Amino acid sequence: MKNGAKVVPISGPVGQAARLAAAGRSRRRRTPAPDEEALRRRLAELERQLAAAHTAEEHEGLLVTLARVLHAGARGLSWASLARLQRALYFAWHSEETDEFGSDRRFAETLEPVLEFLYSMWWRVEATGTENVPADGPGLIVANHSGVLPYDGLMVQLAVRHEHPAKRVCRMLALDMFALLPVLAPMLSKSGSVRANPENAERLLRKGELLGVFPEGVKGVGKHFRERYKLARFGRGGFVRIALRTGSPIIPCAVVGAEEIHPVVAKADWVGKPLGLPYFPLTPTFPWLGPLGVVPLPTKWSIDFGEPIDLRGHGPEDADDPILVNRISEEVRSTIQGMVDGRLARRRSVWFG
Amino acid sequence: MSRIAITGTASFLGSRALRRLVEARGADAVVAVDIAAPPTTLHGVRHRMVDLTLPGADQRLVDVFREEHVEAVFHAAFFTTPRRDAAYSHELESIGTLHLAAAAAAAGVRHLVLRSFTAVYGARGQNPNFLTEERRPDGHASLAWVRDKVEAEEHAFSFSRRYPGLGVSVLRFATLLGPGVHTFYTRIFSKRVVPVLLGYDPLVQLLHPDDALDAMDAVLAKGPCGVVNVVPRDAISMLTALHLSDKLTVAVPHFLAYPVAELWWGTGVGEAPGGFIDYARFLFVADGEKARRELGFEARHGSRDALMAYLEYRYPDTARRAREQRAREREEEAAREAQA
Repeated sequence: MKNGAKVVPISGPVGQAARLAAAGRSRRRRTPAPDEEALRRRLAELERQLAAAHTAEEHEGLLVTLARVLHAGARGLSWASLARLQRALYFAWHSEETDEFGSDRRFAETLEPVLEFLYSMWWRVEATGTENVPADGPGLIVANHSGVLPYDGLMVQLAVRHEHPAKRVCRMLALDMFALLPVLAPMLSKSGSVRANPENAERLLRKGELLGVFPEGVKGVGKHFRERYKLARFGRGGFVRIALRTGSPIIPCAVVGAEEIHPVVAKADWVGKPLGLPYFPLTPTFPWLGPLGVVPLPTKWSIDFGEPIDLRGHGPEDADDPILVNRISEEVRSTIQGMVDGRLARRRSVWFG
Repeated sequence: MSRIAITGTASFLGSRALRRLVEARGADAVVAVDIAAPPTTLHGVRHRMVDLTLPGADQRLVDVFREEHVEAVFHAAFFTTPRRDAAYSHELESIGTLHLAAAAAAAGVRHLVLRSFTAVYGARGQNPNFLTEERRPDGHASLAWVRDKVEAEEHAFSFSRRYPGLGVSVLRFATLLGPGVHTFYTRIFSKRVVPVLLGYDPLVQLLHPDDALDAMDAVLAKGPCGVVNVVPRDAISMLTALHLSDKLTVAVPHFLAYPVAELWWGTGVGEAPGGFIDYARFLFVADGEKARRELGFEARHGSRDALMAYLEYRYPDTARRAREQRAREREEEAAREAQA
C-alpha cells in the first residue's frame, strides 16, 4: 500500500505524460487521413463558392435582387441589401452621367414610351410646319402655354424630335413653379428641360441648341377655362432680348388642344399658397375624383410651327432698346394668336379635331 | 528673399498647400502662420505662432510679414465644418481676415489669396445652372457659416481698394472631396443610411484636392485676379453619387427636413444647421470659365473622379464595385452601339 502509493505519484503520471507526449509527437508526424484531406478540399471549394456568390450578388440585375430579397424574407434584408436594391432600382432608369445641365439619356429613354403613348394615342398630336425649325444652329421656339401641367412642352419637344427631318433635340425652358416643384423638378431637368432664366437660355443658344420657351409663363399655364386660347402678356420680352443678343431666329408655335386637357373652372388659392404653389386649380375632375382627376382629358392636339422670324437685321445692341423688344414680342404674340385662331376656326371637335 | 505665408496650416487644405509649396519651393520659402505647429515631417519649415482671434493679431502679423519678407499670403484659416461656437468662427473668419488684410496692406504684401467656397453664392431655386463670378454672394444667408465667409471676402477687397499695392485673389473652391477629407458632409456620408430630400436631386460639384492645389499654384504664379471659381470638370447628381457609394437613402419631405435638422443641430446631435439643406435641394454649380481664361487652370478630375478617389481611400470595396459597374456599363454601351 505504502509502496504502491510511493510508486504511483512519482512514476505513474510522469510516465503517462511521457507516453502521451510521445503519442502526440507521433500523431503530429502522421500524414493526414484521406477524409481530412477531403474535408479541407471541400472547405476550399465552399469558400470559392461563397466568393462566387458574393460576386454574383454584386453583379446581379434588379429582378434577381428583388427575387432574392422576397425569397429570403426578413433574413435576406440588411442595410447593405436594401442599399443594393435601391441602387439597382436607381440605375435601372438613370445613367451615371448627365450633361452639364443635368439631362440624363437613360432617364429620357425610360420616359419615352409614356410620352410616346400620350403623343400618338392619347392626344393624337398632329404636327405641321416642322420644316420651319432650323436644321442646325440655335433657334427659339416660342409657343402658347396651357394645360396646368407642362405637357405641352413635352409634346413640342417630341414633335420636333420625331417630325423634324434632322431629328433635332429641343430643350424646354421650364417655369420656376415646375422647375422647383419636388419630384417634377428632377424629372424635368433629367429629361432635358432647363429652368427658365436668361443666363441658362443664353448659354444654351450660344452652344447652338434649339430651345422651347413659353413666354406667357404662369399666367398662361393656369389660365381659366373661359380665357382659353387668348394669349396672355408675353412676360417682359426677355426671350426677344436673348434672341437678339445671340442672333437666333424665333419660330412661333401654336399648340391647340392643350387648353382643354384640364379645364380650370376655379382656383383655390387658399390651398395652393401653403403648399408653395402659385395657384391651386379646380377642374371638373380635380380634386373631386382623387387620382383619376389628374388624368388629362384625351383631346385632339395640333402643333403648328410658323415661319421663322429672322432677327439678324437687328444687332445685339438692340436688346437694350425696350420699345423695339416690346414691339417684336407683341409681333410674335399676335402671330401665334393668329395661328391659334386659324386652327380653331378649322377645328370641328375638341376630341376629334 | 521673399517668402509665401500660409495661414490655417492645421486645416486640410492649408496643410496640403503647405506641403505642396514646401515641395515646390523648398522649406525656406514658406512660412506657416498658425496657432498649431506644422507637422514635424516637414523639416525646416518656419512656423510663426499667431492667433488671428486676438486683439493684437494685426500688429503681430505686420511684424511677422516684415521679418520674414512675405510677398504673398495664402489665407486658408476657414472652417469647412460649421461650428456650434458661432462667435469664435466669426472672430476667426471675419475679424481674422480683417486683421490679416490690414497687416498685409501695412507690411507691403503684394498678393493676398483667400480660400473661399462656391457655397457663398448660396443654393437658391432662382440660381442659374452656372454661377459666374459676377454673381453677388449671398450676404443675407440664414447661415452664419456663409455670412462669415462673405464678410471675409469683403474685408479683403475693401483693403485692396484702399491700398492699391495689395492685390487680392479669392478662390472659390467647390466642395472638396478626396483622400484625407474629413468634414461634416463626409461624416453624414459615412452613415449607412443617408437622408435626402424627397423629389430633389440637384447636381453637385465635387472638387479633388489636387485640383484645388493646382489652382492655388496657378494663382500664385499669375498674381492678383479677383474672384475665381475653382470647379471640377463636370458635376454629378447627388443621388447618383450616393448610390455609387452604396448608400441607402431615405427621402424626407423638405418642409419636415428644415425643422428636424435645425432641432437636431440645436440639440447637439446633428452635423450641420438646417440652412445647409438648401445645398441638397437647389443648385449651386459654379462656372469655371474665368479660371480657364485668366489662370489657364483646368481641373484634371471630374466630380465622379473625386468621389471615386474618396471611396478608394475610405471604402475600397465600394470603389471596386463602382468601377466594375462602370466597366460593365461601358461594355453594354459599346455592344449597343455596335448593334446600331
